Amino acid sequence: MDKFMEVLENVLMPVADKLNNNRYLTALRNGFMVALPLIIFGSIFVVIANLPFLDRVLSEEGYAAYQNALGPASAATLSIMGLFVMIGIGYKMVEGRGGEAIYGGVVALASFLILTPQVVEGVGGVIPTASLGAQGMFLGIFTAFISAELYHFFVRKNLTIKMPEGVPSAVSRSFSALIPITLTLTIFLVIRLVFTFTPFETVQNFIYTIIQQPLTALGSGLPATLVAVLLIQVFWFFGLHGQIIINSVFDPIWYSLNDENLAAFQAGEELPHIVTKQFIDTFIVGIGGSGMTLAVIIAIFVAAKSRQMRELGKLGGPPGLFNVNEPVIFGLPIIMNPLVLIPWLLAPVVVAAVTYFLMSTGFAPKPAGVIVPWTTPPLLSGYLATGNNIMGSVMQLISMSIVFVIWLPFVKLLDKQYYGEELSAQATN
Amino acid sequence: MVKILLACSSGMSTSLLVQKMEAEANERGLDAEIWAVAQDKAAEDMKKADVLLIGPQMRFMKKKLSVNAEEAGIPLDVINPVDYGRVNGKAVLDTALELIENNK
Repeated sequence: MDKFMEVLENVLMPVADKLNNNRYLTALRNGFMVALPLIIFGSIFVVIANLPFLDRVLSEEGYAAYQNALGPASAATLSIMGLFVMIGIGYKMVEGRGGEAIYGGVVALASFLILTPQVVEGVGGVIPTASLGAQGMFLGIFTAFISAELYHFFVRKNLTIKMPEGVPSAVSRSFSALIPITLTLTIFLVIRLVFTFTPFETVQNFIYTIIQQPLTALGSGLPATLVAVLLIQVFWFFGLHGQIIINSVFDPIWYSLNDENLAAFQAGEELPHIVTKQFIDTFIVGIGGSGMTLAVIIAIFVAAKSRQMRELGKLGGPPGLFNVNEPVIFGLPIIMNPLVLIPWLLAPVVVAAVTYFLMSTGFAPKPAGVIVPWTTPPLLSGYLATGNNIMGSVMQLISMSIVFVIWLPFVKLLDKQYYGEELSAQATN
Repeated sequence: MVKILLACSSGMSTSLLVQKMEAEANERGLDAEIWAVAQDKAAEDMKKADVLLIGPQMRFMKKKLSVNAEEAGIPLDVINPVDYGRVNGKAVLDTALELIENNK
């Protein structure tokens, strides 16, 4: 067993290292971090705009006026998050290379806008907001990567205009960016032109059809989701932060799906997806942290007799309410502990499948596209993530019961072992 | 004055440890500044610290952060998983002080 663990750890460490420290994935993760405060701001106002019972208290016009008044909050942030993500990525890419970061941000934005169709149903001078949100997410990410790299490449080639001494530094800085930006944006203009001669007509359309749609279709399905959930658990079993490793790959997909649900939710239509960012963050990980360990803590309080376990319950309880569970993972311990490998891998996978099933049958509501911070306590987070629906909390409660039932025999087993050790330690004293 | 920096994925679980370490430092009458950051802030904050400790779940960051730590001239290590799980402020503070001492 030890030998096997060692081999697996030797495989997983380099994978974690590669995924976490890869320049593009780092920029991607940090790009989403830049957008996060805006995304949450928008989410708060989606929640406020859809407060329960208001539609019954207010007249129909009054309710519509209320929603219209708050609409711009999410329309300007959450619904067009792709915009902020790509600026963040461009910025972080160039910052990581040690260049002037803000130009990385604006060159990404301008390149993206060059590729974006600016006609809607024959009306010119308009940018469809959908292309700045879910639909343009992948194009935005790729554009940010490529434009920032091109910009930096041209800067490094020293194709900059050197100013004579005595010119204020701000002036020479603005000129130093001129040639790299001009070259980069020209390339994107050419790319746009080339695509007008293809059946796709726009790059946006091309990326959406060839890459984004197949990937999100795959990512929104149950099999890929179960694989992602299982991988998170496997990484954590070796004490590696599985969530952050898997997120760097899946976030673009999960966020795109999320925005599509939000658009449908705000239009009062049937929500298209079950798996979204919030499916993972609220209904899987957000029930006490990776592995949904809040139910494990409850099992400890219910069944454990050993001092060691009860201490851990007290230590892990308060942070667990906010989905921080390193004390449980390292303290129980879960890492490298073959005794708890089965429930650790099994529980989240079962919960993911059950949640998916109950959401598809309509028993539980699908995530409405509201982004809930991952530190939001369970039950509250389920309510908020489903657009103020108490059945979201009920779904989380069901999931907690499932985890509790799967874990209980293993908690007892572990407790018996610890309790025996404690007794024999007392006896020898 | 010793300055101890802790880093993990988002600085959440390490901040739990910070509280315990601060309490321990207070008890010892030790003048210490202890704080936790997310991994992307670690390179920047390292310039103000005497030592960097990484949460064990982010130990794959060690190689990359070692480069920054060398530039800043400070030691770094991964926190012992057992101490991390027990949120053992005393043991981790000892580790930090030992690393600083050995670096002198």
